Amino acid sequence: MPAKDVFGRAFPVILLTAVVAICVSLLTYVGSITLPRIEALEVQKIQGMLSGMFPDMSRYTFEDEIYAIYSDEVRIGYAFVAVGKGYGGAINILVGLEDEATIKRITVISHTETPGLGSRITEDLFTGQFVRLSVDDAALRRDGGQIDAITGATISSRAVADAVRITAVEKVKVLEDSEEGG
Amino acid sequence: MGKFAQEFAKGLIITNPVLVLLLGLCPALAVSTSIDNALGMTLAVLIVLLGSNIIIAAMRNFVPSITRIPIFIVIIATLVTVVNLLFHAYLPDLHETLGIYLPLVVVNCIVLGRAEAFASKNPVVRSIADALGMTVGFMLALLMISLIRQMLGTGEMSVFGVHFFSLPVLSSRPVAIFILPPGGFLVIGLLLGLFKWTGVLKR
Repeated sequence: MPAKDVFGRAFPVILLTAVVAICVSLLTYVGSITLPRIEALEVQKIQGMLSGMFPDMSRYTFEDEIYAIYSDEVRIGYAFVAVGKGYGGAINILVGLEDEATIKRITVISHTETPGLGSRITEDLFTGQFVRLSVDDAALRRDGGQIDAITGATISSRAVADAVRITAVEKVKVLEDSEEGG
Repeated sequence: MGKFAQEFAKGLIITNPVLVLLLGLCPALAVSTSIDNALGMTLAVLIVLLGSNIIIAAMRNFVPSITRIPIFIVIIATLVTVVNLLFHAYLPDLHETLGIYLPLVVVNCIVLGRAEAFASKNPVVRSIADALGMTVGFMLALLMISLIRQMLGTGEMSVFGVHFFSLPVLSSRPVAIFILPPGGFLVIGLLLGLFKWTGVLKR
Protein backbone atom coordinates (compact mmCIF):
# COMPACT_ATOMS: atom_id res chain seq x y z
CA MET A 1 0.00 0.00 0.00
CA PRO A 2 1.47 3.38 -0.95
CA ALA A 3 2.27 5.72 1.92
CA LYS A 4 -0.11 8.37 0.68
CA ASP A 5 -3.03 5.96 0.78
CA VAL A 6 -2.25 4.89 4.34
CA PHE A 7 -2.21 8.50 5.41
CA GLY A 8 -5.45 9.13 3.54
CA ARG A 9 -7.14 6.30 5.40
CA ALA A 10 -5.74 7.26 8.77
CA PHE A 11 -6.41 10.97 8.36
CA PRO A 12 -9.96 11.00 9.83
CA VAL A 13 -8.67 9.21 12.95
CA ILE A 14 -5.69 11.53 13.27
CA LEU A 15 -7.84 14.62 12.83
CA LEU A 16 -10.44 13.49 15.36
CA THR A 17 -7.71 12.62 17.87
CA ALA A 18 -6.10 16.01 17.34
CA VAL A 19 -9.41 17.84 17.78
CA VAL A 20 -10.14 15.92 20.99
CA ALA A 21 -6.62 16.62 22.30
CA ILE A 22 -6.96 20.35 21.62
CA CYS A 23 -10.42 20.45 23.22
CA VAL A 24 -9.24 18.55 26.31
CA SER A 25 -6.28 20.91 26.78
CA LEU A 26 -8.56 23.93 26.39
CA LEU A 27 -11.02 22.54 28.92
CA THR A 28 -8.27 21.70 31.39
CA TYR A 29 -6.98 25.24 31.09
CA VAL A 30 -10.39 26.92 31.47
CA GLY A 31 -11.23 24.54 34.31
CA SER A 32 -8.04 25.39 36.17
CA ILE A 33 -8.54 29.16 35.88
CA THR A 34 -12.21 29.09 36.86
CA LEU A 35 -11.99 26.53 39.69
CA PRO A 36 -10.51 28.85 42.35
CA ARG A 37 -13.16 31.47 41.57
CA ILE A 38 -15.99 28.96 41.66
CA GLU A 39 -14.74 27.59 44.99
CA ALA A 40 -14.28 31.08 46.42
CA LEU A 41 -17.82 32.01 45.38
CA GLU A 42 -19.11 28.85 47.05
CA VAL A 43 -17.30 29.66 50.33
CA GLN A 44 -18.45 33.28 50.13
CA LYS A 45 -22.02 32.15 49.60
CA ILE A 46 -21.98 29.79 52.59
CA GLN A 47 -20.31 32.44 54.73
CA GLY A 48 -22.90 35.04 53.73
CA MET A 49 -25.72 32.66 54.49
CA LEU A 50 -24.25 31.68 57.86
CA SER A 51 -23.81 35.27 58.97
CA GLY A 52 -27.32 36.04 57.71
CA MET A 53 -28.56 33.25 59.92
CA PHE A 54 -26.40 34.11 62.92
CA PRO A 55 -25.81 37.90 62.84
CA ASP A 56 -23.55 37.66 65.91
CA MET A 57 -21.21 35.17 64.26
CA SER A 58 -17.55 36.03 64.59
CA ARG A 59 -16.15 32.77 63.27
CA TYR A 60 -17.16 29.23 62.39
CA THR A 61 -15.59 25.82 62.21
CA PHE A 62 -16.47 23.02 59.82
CA GLU A 63 -16.18 19.45 61.02
CA ASP A 64 -18.13 16.27 60.24
CA GLU A 65 -20.08 18.32 57.67
CA ILE A 66 -21.43 20.49 60.50
CA TYR A 67 -20.71 24.19 60.89
CA ALA A 68 -20.28 25.22 64.51
CA ILE A 69 -20.98 28.92 64.93
CA TYR A 70 -19.09 30.99 67.50
CA SER A 71 -19.56 34.52 68.75
CA ASP A 72 -16.63 35.70 70.88
CA GLU A 73 -15.56 32.11 71.48
CA VAL A 74 -19.01 31.14 72.74
CA ARG A 75 -20.83 28.60 70.65
CA ILE A 76 -24.17 30.04 69.59
CA GLY A 77 -25.41 27.35 67.26
CA TYR A 78 -24.86 24.85 64.50
CA ALA A 79 -25.60 24.78 60.81
CA PHE A 80 -25.55 22.04 58.21
CA VAL A 81 -26.77 21.29 54.72
CA ALA A 82 -29.84 19.10 54.31
CA VAL A 83 -30.73 17.58 50.96
CA GLY A 84 -34.39 17.01 50.16
CA LYS A 85 -35.82 15.12 47.21
CA GLY A 86 -38.15 17.64 45.59
CA TYR A 87 -40.48 17.55 42.62
CA GLY A 88 -37.78 18.63 40.19
CA GLY A 89 -34.64 17.20 41.80
CA ALA A 90 -32.47 17.76 44.85
CA ILE A 91 -33.20 20.70 47.15
CA ASN A 92 -30.20 21.87 49.17
CA ILE A 93 -31.15 23.60 52.39
CA LEU A 94 -28.90 25.28 54.91
CA VAL A 95 -30.36 24.61 58.36
CA GLY A 96 -29.31 26.59 61.42
CA LEU A 97 -29.86 25.12 64.88
CA GLU A 98 -30.07 27.28 67.99
CA ASP A 99 -29.55 24.23 70.19
CA GLU A 100 -29.99 20.48 69.79
CA ALA A 101 -33.78 20.68 69.65
CA THR A 102 -34.60 24.07 68.13
CA ILE A 103 -34.24 25.36 64.59
CA LYS A 104 -32.86 28.87 64.25
CA ARG A 105 -33.88 29.32 60.63
CA ILE A 106 -33.47 27.71 57.21
CA THR A 107 -32.29 29.00 53.84
CA VAL A 108 -32.71 27.20 50.54
CA ILE A 109 -29.29 27.14 48.85
CA SER A 110 -30.30 25.63 45.53
CA HIS A 111 -33.23 23.81 44.00
CA THR A 112 -34.77 22.95 40.65
CA GLU A 113 -38.45 23.16 41.62
CA THR A 114 -41.13 24.48 39.27
CA PRO A 115 -40.83 28.26 38.91
CA GLY A 116 -43.74 30.02 40.56
CA LEU A 117 -44.94 26.93 42.41
CA GLY A 118 -42.32 24.79 44.13
CA SER A 119 -39.77 27.59 43.79
CA ARG A 120 -41.71 29.48 46.46
CA ILE A 121 -39.99 27.30 49.08
CA THR A 122 -37.31 30.01 48.99
CA GLU A 123 -39.73 32.73 50.11
CA ASP A 124 -39.86 33.98 53.68
CA LEU A 125 -43.54 33.12 53.85
CA PHE A 126 -42.53 29.46 53.79
CA THR A 127 -39.07 29.41 55.39
CA GLY A 128 -40.24 31.80 58.14
CA GLN A 129 -42.36 28.99 59.52
CA PHE A 130 -39.19 27.18 60.57
CA VAL A 131 -37.86 30.03 62.72
CA ARG A 132 -37.50 28.84 66.33
CA LEU A 133 -39.44 25.71 65.54
CA SER A 134 -38.83 22.56 67.51
CA VAL A 135 -37.03 20.01 65.32
CA ASP A 136 -39.79 17.43 65.88
CA ASP A 137 -42.43 19.84 64.52
CA ALA A 138 -40.64 20.30 61.20
CA ALA A 139 -43.22 18.41 59.16
CA LEU A 140 -46.32 19.32 57.21
CA ARG A 141 -49.53 19.71 59.21
CA ARG A 142 -51.09 16.75 57.46
CA ASP A 143 -48.05 14.71 58.55
CA GLY A 144 -48.51 15.79 62.17
CA GLY A 145 -46.17 18.79 62.20
CA GLN A 146 -46.44 22.57 62.27
CA ILE A 147 -45.62 23.56 58.68
CA ASP A 148 -48.25 24.80 56.22
CA ALA A 149 -47.50 23.51 52.73
CA ILE A 150 -47.40 25.93 49.80
CA THR A 151 -50.61 25.66 47.78
CA GLY A 152 -49.97 23.49 44.73
CA ALA A 153 -46.49 22.51 45.89
CA THR A 154 -47.07 19.86 48.53
CA ILE A 155 -44.22 17.66 47.28
CA SER A 156 -41.66 20.47 47.43
CA SER A 157 -42.92 21.63 50.83
CA ARG A 158 -42.83 18.12 52.25
CA ALA A 159 -39.36 17.51 50.81
CA VAL A 160 -38.02 20.58 52.64
CA ALA A 161 -39.74 19.88 55.96
CA ASP A 162 -38.78 16.20 55.99
CA ALA A 163 -35.18 16.84 54.94
CA VAL A 164 -34.80 19.46 57.69
CA ARG A 165 -36.23 17.19 60.38
CA ILE A 166 -34.49 13.97 59.36
CA THR A 167 -31.10 15.59 58.79
CA ALA A 168 -31.36 17.59 62.03
CA VAL A 169 -31.99 14.40 64.00
CA GLU A 170 -29.00 12.74 62.29
CA LYS A 171 -26.67 15.68 62.88
CA VAL A 172 -27.69 16.07 66.52
CA LYS A 173 -26.83 12.41 66.99
CA VAL A 174 -23.41 12.99 65.41
CA LEU A 175 -22.87 15.97 67.73
CA GLU A 176 -23.87 14.00 70.81
CA ASP A 177 -21.64 11.08 69.82
CA SER A 178 -18.63 13.31 69.28
CA GLU A 179 -19.21 15.06 72.60
CA GLU A 180 -19.39 11.73 74.41
CA GLY A 181 -16.26 10.56 72.64
CA GLY A 182 -14.39 13.81 73.27
CA MET B 1 -22.88 43.07 2.60
CA GLY B 2 -26.04 42.08 0.79
CA LYS B 3 -25.29 38.39 1.29
CA PHE B 4 -24.41 38.93 4.96
CA ALA B 5 -27.69 40.74 5.62
CA GLN B 6 -29.58 38.06 3.70
CA GLU B 7 -28.07 35.20 5.72
CA PHE B 8 -28.81 37.14 8.90
CA ALA B 9 -32.41 38.01 8.04
CA LYS B 10 -33.48 34.52 7.01
CA GLY B 11 -33.07 33.27 10.58
CA LEU B 12 -35.50 35.81 11.96
CA ILE B 13 -38.70 34.75 10.22
CA ILE B 14 -38.36 32.68 7.04
CA THR B 15 -36.29 29.92 8.67
CA ASN B 16 -36.84 30.87 12.30
CA PRO B 17 -35.17 27.98 14.15
CA VAL B 18 -37.95 27.44 16.67
CA LEU B 19 -41.14 28.48 14.88
CA VAL B 20 -40.34 27.18 11.39
CA LEU B 21 -37.52 24.63 11.58
CA LEU B 22 -38.91 23.39 14.92
CA LEU B 23 -35.35 22.97 16.20
CA GLY B 24 -34.22 23.58 19.75
CA LEU B 25 -37.66 22.84 21.12
CA CYS B 26 -36.23 21.30 24.29
CA PRO B 27 -34.66 24.54 25.60
CA ALA B 28 -37.46 26.59 24.02
CA LEU B 29 -39.98 24.71 26.12
CA ALA B 30 -37.87 24.27 29.23
CA VAL B 31 -36.50 27.75 29.86
CA SER B 32 -39.34 29.83 28.45
CA THR B 33 -40.97 30.19 31.86
CA SER B 34 -39.62 33.71 32.33
CA ILE B 35 -38.04 36.49 30.29
CA ASP B 36 -34.87 36.28 32.42
CA ASN B 37 -34.34 32.64 31.54
CA ALA B 38 -35.08 33.30 27.87
CA LEU B 39 -32.44 36.04 27.66
CA GLY B 40 -29.87 34.03 29.63
CA MET B 41 -30.36 31.04 27.35
CA THR B 42 -30.06 33.30 24.29
CA LEU B 43 -26.69 34.56 25.53
CA ALA B 44 -25.43 30.99 25.97
CA VAL B 45 -26.70 29.95 22.55
CA LEU B 46 -25.15 33.04 20.95
CA ILE B 47 -21.68 32.25 22.27
CA VAL B 48 -21.85 28.54 21.44
CA LEU B 49 -23.47 28.90 18.02
CA LEU B 50 -21.17 31.71 16.94
CA GLY B 51 -18.11 29.79 18.13
CA SER B 52 -19.12 26.49 16.55
CA ASN B 53 -20.16 28.08 13.25
CA ILE B 54 -16.84 29.96 12.97
CA ILE B 55 -14.66 26.96 13.85
CA ILE B 56 -16.58 24.51 11.70
CA ALA B 57 -16.70 26.86 8.71
CA ALA B 58 -12.95 27.41 9.03
CA MET B 59 -12.31 23.65 9.13
CA ARG B 60 -14.85 22.72 6.43
CA ASN B 61 -12.33 22.03 3.66
CA PHE B 62 -10.37 19.32 5.43
CA VAL B 63 -12.88 17.64 7.74
CA PRO B 64 -13.56 14.20 6.24
CA SER B 65 -17.27 13.48 5.98
CA ILE B 66 -16.86 10.14 7.76
CA THR B 67 -15.83 11.73 11.08
CA ARG B 68 -17.55 15.10 10.73
CA ILE B 69 -20.34 14.47 13.26
CA PRO B 70 -18.00 13.36 16.10
CA ILE B 71 -15.76 16.35 15.37
CA PHE B 72 -18.72 18.76 15.42
CA ILE B 73 -20.01 17.27 18.67
CA VAL B 74 -16.60 17.47 20.38
CA ILE B 75 -16.23 21.12 19.35
CA ILE B 76 -19.77 22.02 20.44
CA ALA B 77 -19.47 20.14 23.75
CA THR B 78 -16.17 21.91 24.47
CA LEU B 79 -17.68 25.33 23.78
CA VAL B 80 -20.68 24.57 25.98
CA THR B 81 -18.48 23.38 28.83
CA VAL B 82 -16.31 26.49 28.56
CA VAL B 83 -19.42 28.71 28.62
CA ASN B 84 -20.77 26.73 31.56
CA LEU B 85 -17.54 27.13 33.55
CA LEU B 86 -17.23 30.84 32.72
CA PHE B 87 -20.86 31.54 33.66
CA HIS B 88 -20.35 29.60 36.89
CA ALA B 89 -17.29 31.65 37.79
CA TYR B 90 -18.23 35.10 36.52
CA LEU B 91 -22.05 35.17 36.24
CA PRO B 92 -23.07 32.93 39.16
CA ASP B 93 -26.64 34.29 39.38
CA LEU B 94 -27.36 33.58 35.72
CA HIS B 95 -25.68 30.19 36.03
CA GLU B 96 -28.03 29.36 38.87
CA THR B 97 -31.18 30.41 36.98
CA LEU B 98 -30.30 28.41 33.89
CA GLY B 99 -29.29 25.37 35.92
CA ILE B 100 -29.23 22.14 33.95
CA TYR B 101 -30.37 23.79 30.69
CA LEU B 102 -26.99 25.44 30.22
CA PRO B 103 -25.03 22.16 29.83
CA LEU B 104 -27.95 20.88 27.76
CA VAL B 105 -27.13 23.38 25.01
CA VAL B 106 -24.82 20.57 23.82
CA VAL B 107 -27.82 18.69 22.53
CA ASN B 108 -29.54 21.81 21.23
CA CYS B 109 -30.42 20.84 17.68
CA ILE B 110 -29.99 24.41 16.46
CA VAL B 111 -26.26 24.29 17.10
CA LEU B 112 -25.57 20.91 15.50
CA GLY B 113 -28.19 21.62 12.83
CA ARG B 114 -26.48 24.83 11.70
CA ALA B 115 -23.06 23.17 11.85
CA GLU B 116 -24.21 20.37 9.58
CA ALA B 117 -26.58 22.28 7.29
CA PHE B 118 -24.77 25.58 6.96
CA ALA B 119 -21.32 26.11 8.49
CA SER B 120 -19.83 22.94 7.03
CA LYS B 121 -20.68 24.19 3.51
CA ASN B 122 -20.20 27.95 3.72
CA PRO B 123 -17.36 30.41 4.33
CA VAL B 124 -16.69 31.89 7.76
CA VAL B 125 -18.28 35.31 7.24
CA ARG B 126 -21.57 33.91 5.99
CA SER B 127 -21.55 31.40 8.82
CA ILE B 128 -21.23 34.28 11.29
CA ALA B 129 -24.26 35.95 9.70
CA ASP B 130 -26.14 32.67 9.89
CA ALA B 131 -25.26 32.20 13.58
CA LEU B 132 -26.33 35.74 14.48
CA GLY B 133 -29.59 35.47 12.54
CA MET B 134 -30.44 32.10 14.06
CA THR B 135 -29.69 33.38 17.57
CA VAL B 136 -31.90 36.42 17.12
CA GLY B 137 -34.64 34.20 15.68
CA PHE B 138 -34.27 31.89 18.68
CA MET B 139 -34.45 34.89 21.01
CA LEU B 140 -37.60 36.28 19.35
CA ALA B 141 -39.36 32.93 19.60
CA LEU B 142 -38.27 32.43 23.20
CA LEU B 143 -39.32 35.93 24.19
CA MET B 144 -42.76 35.46 22.66
CA ILE B 145 -43.30 32.14 24.44
CA SER B 146 -41.91 33.26 27.78
CA LEU B 147 -43.81 36.56 27.73
CA ILE B 148 -47.10 34.69 27.46
CA ARG B 149 -46.11 32.00 29.96
CA GLN B 150 -44.75 34.41 32.56
CA MET B 151 -47.77 36.71 32.33
CA LEU B 152 -50.39 33.99 32.55
CA GLY B 153 -48.45 31.70 34.86
CA THR B 154 -47.36 34.23 37.48
CA GLY B 155 -49.62 37.20 36.73
CA GLU B 156 -46.63 39.50 36.98
CA MET B 157 -44.04 40.92 34.64
CA SER B 158 -40.57 41.52 35.98
CA VAL B 159 -37.24 41.27 34.18
CA PHE B 160 -33.97 40.79 36.11
CA GLY B 161 -35.63 41.88 39.36
CA VAL B 162 -37.16 45.04 37.87
CA HIS B 163 -40.89 44.88 38.34
CA PHE B 164 -42.97 46.23 35.45
CA PHE B 165 -46.60 45.44 36.16
CA SER B 166 -48.97 43.00 37.78
CA LEU B 167 -52.09 41.82 36.03
CA PRO B 168 -55.28 42.45 38.04
CA VAL B 169 -56.85 39.02 38.60
CA LEU B 170 -53.96 36.78 37.53
CA SER B 171 -51.41 37.98 40.10
CA SER B 172 -53.50 36.63 42.96
CA ARG B 173 -54.73 33.57 41.08
CA PRO B 174 -52.11 32.74 38.42
CA VAL B 175 -52.84 29.98 35.91
CA ALA B 176 -50.01 27.79 37.13
CA ILE B 177 -50.24 25.33 34.24
CA PHE B 178 -48.59 27.90 31.96
CA ILE B 179 -45.27 27.71 33.79
CA LEU B 180 -45.46 23.94 34.02
CA PRO B 181 -44.29 21.80 31.07
CA PRO B 182 -47.81 21.34 29.58
CA GLY B 183 -48.14 25.12 29.39
CA GLY B 184 -45.02 25.25 27.23
CA PHE B 185 -46.54 22.84 24.73
CA LEU B 186 -49.86 24.71 24.74
CA VAL B 187 -48.26 28.09 24.12
CA ILE B 188 -45.84 26.95 21.45
CA GLY B 189 -48.58 24.96 19.70
CA LEU B 190 -50.96 27.91 19.69
CA LEU B 191 -48.20 30.26 18.50
CA LEU B 192 -47.29 27.93 15.63
CA GLY B 193 -50.95 27.68 14.68
CA LEU B 194 -51.42 31.42 14.86
CA PHE B 195 -48.36 32.11 12.71
CA LYS B 196 -49.39 29.57 10.10
CA TRP B 197 -52.96 30.86 10.06
CA THR B 198 -52.04 34.49 9.63
CA GLY B 199 -49.49 33.51 6.99
CA VAL B 200 -46.63 35.34 8.67
CA LEU B 201 -44.39 32.34 8.29
CA LYS B 202 -45.39 31.38 4.76
CA ARG B 203 -42.31 30.64 2.76
